[in-house]
Amino acid sequence: MSETHIDKKLWLISQNELSAWLDGIAEARTLVAPRQVSKSILYRPVANSKEIAWQSQFPKAAPPIRPTLSIKEIYFPSTERLFTINKNGQEIVLKETFPDWETVVFGVRPCDARGVKILDALFLDTNPIDVFYSRRRSNTTLIGMACQSLRPSCFCTSVGGAPDDARDVDIMLSEVDGGYLVRAVTEKGRFLIPGGEWEETGDHFPSPKFNAEFTLAKKGKLIEHYNDPYWLNISERCLSCRACAYVCPTCRCFIVRDEMIKSNEFERIRCWDSCSGKNYRRLAGGHRPRAEKNERMRNRIFCKFYYYPEQYGLGLSSACTGCGRCIEVCHAGVDITEVLLDLEKMG
Amino acid sequence: MFEPRIVAFLCSWCSYTGADTAGIARLKSPANIRAVRVPCSGRVSPELVMRTFDQGADGVLILGCHVGECHYDTGNHRAAKRIPILQKLLSFAGLEPERLRLDWVSASEGERFSKIAEEFTGVVRSLGPVHWRIKPDETITRIKPVQISPDSIPYPKIDASVKTEAIRQKARELLENNQVSCVIGYETNRRGRTRPVFIHSTDDVPRLVWNADCSNNLTGYLPGMLRPVRGKEPEKPVAVVVKPCDSKAINVMVAENLYRREQVFSIGVACEGMQDENNGLQVRCITCQEAVPIVCDALISGTTSSFIPRLSSDSREGISTINTLSPARRFEFWLEQFDRCIRCYACRQACPMCNCPVCLYEQDNSTFVGAGIGLNEKRTFHLGRAYHLAGRCVGCDECERACPMGIPISLLNQLIAAEIETTFDFRAGLAVTPSPIVTVLSGEYKEG
Repeated sequence: MSETHIDKKLWLISQNELSAWLDGIAEARTLVAPRQVSKSILYRPVANSKEIAWQSQFPKAAPPIRPTLSIKEIYFPSTERLFTINKNGQEIVLKETFPDWETVVFGVRPCDARGVKILDALFLDTNPIDVFYSRRRSNTTLIGMACQSLRPSCFCTSVGGAPDDARDVDIMLSEVDGGYLVRAVTEKGRFLIPGGEWEETGDHFPSPKFNAEFTLAKKGKLIEHYNDPYWLNISERCLSCRACAYVCPTCRCFIVRDEMIKSNEFERIRCWDSCSGKNYRRLAGGHRPRAEKNERMRNRIFCKFYYYPEQYGLGLSSACTGCGRCIEVCHAGVDITEVLLDLEKMG
Repeated sequence: MFEPRIVAFLCSWCSYTGADTAGIARLKSPANIRAVRVPCSGRVSPELVMRTFDQGADGVLILGCHVGECHYDTGNHRAAKRIPILQKLLSFAGLEPERLRLDWVSASEGERFSKIAEEFTGVVRSLGPVHWRIKPDETITRIKPVQISPDSIPYPKIDASVKTEAIRQKARELLENNQVSCVIGYETNRRGRTRPVFIHSTDDVPRLVWNADCSNNLTGYLPGMLRPVRGKEPEKPVAVVVKPCDSKAINVMVAENLYRREQVFSIGVACEGMQDENNGLQVRCITCQEAVPIVCDALISGTTSSFIPRLSSDSREGISTINTLSPARRFEFWLEQFDRCIRCYACRQACPMCNCPVCLYEQDNSTFVGAGIGLNEKRTFHLGRAYHLAGRCVGCDECERACPMGIPISLLNQLIAAEIETTFDFRAGLAVTPSPIVTVLSGEYKEG
């Protein structure tokens, strides 16, 4: 759907060619790809293509692979050391530790890649720029994999995405009969492709049609429901855990804390936090501006569809990419699409 | 030669004085021991022991007054009950059990102190340096998967419409008669997923359903709903639909004074078991012992029940599989599991028994665990949480099902429940009784 790819070249490669290519990448750089870890599939470093969880390993009718956690954790890890503090007598030394390794992520779903774009608005496009994020961002290449179907919880088409949306990846792959179609979307992606060895193919990129499940309510409308008793009803079942936020490709709240390593060595760390937890935004003195779960759930919905797009100028798009992870992980069955549909019904 | 670092928690009245006696008598005790003086061996909470290992101790020795000689009457009863359970838990997680020892030394027993210290140091020395704390750059070795769940049993197809109707009827009756303010039950959402629902008016009663996916333990919502607001209790009780396993949680919560029994109207449903994602019986149901709720004000019984109680020892399959591994392998197994944890606290939030106002592991100034989402912190949280559920966990496995990362958390709870059952002949929730861990010893205590 995107017109931004740098050249119109398309390659058709076999599974063997793809595996060999990835093996080559894994030798020189860190290759991260969906990997089966016990019962879940996660984006994890792999030593070679054999460790990757391939769609073909699952039954034909199985929904497309979508790792439990989004690729957010590659750019914005759950815990990150910002710097260390060493105290020697009167002298205090601060030492920053920057991430510097080159990473290639394979098998990125378009919704996840979209999520990174949305995080960019905060970490990259707004001053001050987050150094840690920006280093990881420039050292990482994303190889996308178009989804051939939607999972039951997927709703990317309703929030402006598509299962084959190539806007936010560097290389896009699409499964076809007999192999994969490959195209470079950015210069960075083009650099990774061993063009000459692969068979070029016609200009046609098959794009299956997916219809939007629903349309988003207008942002102006959303704010009218700020004080609606609806939030009390819908949030009753919420358990106030943080699963929805931690699996979300665009949730980015964090807390910063100093912790002791040794008696004269400390570290400042940044860890994930979430508006669904009870202690969210607790102030000195104990006041919690989002004390009740209805306020916290409203905050989460508004953040995705109002606050964040407004604050960072995302225009019409929402800060939700429609990956549906929060729907699947919620133990109490809270469903973000249901909330959106209800708000739409309320007018 | 390797010299272990050993931390000894010594009760101020007996053992610390005992150590002094040893010194005065010029008895030799190993220099490896760092003594920490505590008011009573009962003060040595499991968190303290775990923290000590987390900080790099090779061994932890806890010494108190002999049982019956405690200066606080029953302080050491707590230690006598807690530490062996903690030892089992840490051993399950891959620490050699010999690294933790509880013993009794009175003020006059200088010789005994010296002997125990010597012995313990020798044992820990022969074990070598401890491998417990994980360093930031340490990579986890991936081990071959361990099969931990018992074989699947197909879920019996049962027509639940009779029960659905009966639940609706009861709910309507309760709401119409103004007996309760709310009925917590199950509904099916537009995706066909069964989830908790809160029915406040009779108009919503048709939303209630009963089926093979009524998995959630709804009693977890009760403490929040029945909590007094500004010293005032809610006027009306809350009705809740419970399965036999869930109903036990009410007993535990009542025993812990979270609410009074009269504040809850329990709509108990006779249960044939719940279905897992592969259309088999859920693991908790395979080994379930009760077909009918234990706490129940109205019983919804179906047609013929296919319930077959099985030996509770069947549930230990996963535990014994892990226990046959070497400590090093157990250590790796759990690290691999905890590595996936994202510290989202879904397990804790879904647990009906986890209702501390502020979790010990989430306090800003927590001295027991850092805020980071690292392996050490995650393991401390999970082991600590499992320990806090000792004698309280009713085995509903909500924690494990709530976990988005598929960590077999309930194995830890099952292990402790099994220990509590063998040691104290106690199963949580069968009556309004607090955990045996928090009460004094009964009967005769045998040292050693």
